[in-house]
Amino acid sequence: MFEESKVAFFLAKRSIVRGNKGTLYLTILILGMVFVNLIFLPSIITGVAVLFNQQSIDYSYGNLVIEPSKNQIYINNVSELQKKVEHIPGVTGVSPRYSTGATFTHKGNVVTATLAAINPDDEKTVLKTPSKVITGNFLSSGDTDQVVLGYQLAGNMNEKLDVIPSLGGVSVGQTVDITFSNGVTRPYRIKGIINSGSYSADGSAFITKKEYESVIGINDKANEILVRTEATGNENSMRNTLISFGVQEKIWTWEEKSANFLNQIIGSFNIINLIGTIVSLVIAIVVIFIVIFINTVYRRKQIGILKAIGIDRSIIIKSYIFQALFIFAIGTVVGGIFLLLILQLLAVSPIVFPGGPVAPVVDPMLIVRSIISLLIVSIIAGYVPAWITTKEDILSAIRG
Amino acid sequence: MIIGRDLKRIYGKGPVQVLALNCVSLEIKKGEFVGIMGASGSGKSTLLHMLGLLDRPTSGSISIDGIDVGTLNERERTLFRLRRLGYVFQDYALVPELNARENVYLPSMVRGMTPNECTMVCSEILDLVGLKGRSHHLPGEMSGGEQQRVAIARALVNKPTILLADEPCANLDSQNSRIILDLFKKLNGDLRQTIIMVSHEEWHKTYFDRIIYMKDGLVEKK
Repeated sequence: MFEESKVAFFLAKRSIVRGNKGTLYLTILILGMVFVNLIFLPSIITGVAVLFNQQSIDYSYGNLVIEPSKNQIYINNVSELQKKVEHIPGVTGVSPRYSTGATFTHKGNVVTATLAAINPDDEKTVLKTPSKVITGNFLSSGDTDQVVLGYQLAGNMNEKLDVIPSLGGVSVGQTVDITFSNGVTRPYRIKGIINSGSYSADGSAFITKKEYESVIGINDKANEILVRTEATGNENSMRNTLISFGVQEKIWTWEEKSANFLNQIIGSFNIINLIGTIVSLVIAIVVIFIVIFINTVYRRKQIGILKAIGIDRSIIIKSYIFQALFIFAIGTVVGGIFLLLILQLLAVSPIVFPGGPVAPVVDPMLIVRSIISLLIVSIIAGYVPAWITTKEDILSAIRG
Repeated sequence: MIIGRDLKRIYGKGPVQVLALNCVSLEIKKGEFVGIMGASGSGKSTLLHMLGLLDRPTSGSISIDGIDVGTLNERERTLFRLRRLGYVFQDYALVPELNARENVYLPSMVRGMTPNECTMVCSEILDLVGLKGRSHHLPGEMSGGEQQRVAIARALVNKPTILLADEPCANLDSQNSRIILDLFKKLNGDLRQTIIMVSHEEWHKTYFDRIIYMKDGLVEKK
């Protein structure tokens, strides 16, 4: 068995070293490209998922969201609960807020959007929204008649440029009328406009919590409390910690809050990814198969001669498998180099998605999976044509 | 000793059947240099293919050194060819990516010889065929006569019981043909190598100990 493999390896080595270099290089290149394709697209999809996940944490939910208990509209005694949560180890920020719907009117443009009523100082400890002001300023704790708008809600003079219904291109210093859920309408001066890259934040408006409570006529309440923790990834354990410290309200992790949205996106991307992977592997099989098949058919006579002089069929098949494995090994290395170059290039000039720049995230398991897939593909594509060609009887092969 | 009994070979099926061998019987003793001669289509190559285990007779039996080769399976036949037979083809049939030395020692590698043993045996045989200085040349860098001598060296490397040659001089000029035939004669004389050679050249006759004439798939009595 070992002797056979040695002879097969010898034949394969000589065929590679002294065979047609052009075909060899082309096949290696194609295999390298297939390897890149197998890894690149899923890495981008993972990168998009990471981006959206980070956006959910940074601009929508923090790490944990405390919501009113069942059948309650608000969380009562929010100041007390806020203090309690702030003192829990691992918590770095707490922001009680009201998240509600409101109608915004400016010069005939009427838009319904999310209105977040916040304590600006608290909000800064949990979300990054306050730092994303592109014009004007963010809210201060004493502001009463001022509003900060997301840039998509503020909109463009040319409404064709708007992604969502907007106020038609309002700017800092102009006034917007806000109609609250209790029917009260008040004018607010636009203090700033933010652009965070997050759809939810950029389509929302922000006023102070104090102002909202004065309009609605409530005090020391909130319909959600966002909590920021030291580390991301241990939300479930932090939830248990909050419960153990006596938090009785409902507690959600950011993943649970954004599950539907993210799952839809990732689900769709996974389908694209699966199709891409299958197509890539089929291309790899077909290319290696064709190359080896043409090679074996071209050497049909030689294969017949080898069999005639006593070289067993299994040795000949093995030699073609070794050739396919060589193409696989070098192709994978070449693909790896291409991939590194692409990653370097994207680090300098990232792909910009609507949510922000996306960096590809290469999962080591994905690399292992891709290598194994290509290995299997190479063995199959090397074995089958060699098996077909060597099956022919010696004289037919020799006569060509 | 080779004994062929009532060898029949029919190619094709139904109405397009061709009877290439028609109940041929023969005996070849160890150390004989036998020529198989006849016109094109007479069945001489078919007979050689049967004796060289490259094809199976439709009926009849072949015994080589007491082994009924008809009972061997494909793998056993391959091993039999490797260990006991040497084959020289009309068009040299060398592996183009292997140099002369590698072409010659390929069958020894399969038999499990170490690289040192291969090199030693290879040098001896290339010396025997007069190609010691050409051992690192690829087939494409050698003349037809040199390539055929490499093919002969390859056929001899495993010290076969029988050397079979299918018109080995067909693609060579008379000078190179003579070199090959002289080499065969030398191998036959010095090593008592059994040689069966197919030829249709009349002047080759002088080299053979015995000639089997073929005509229309039958051995012709002369």
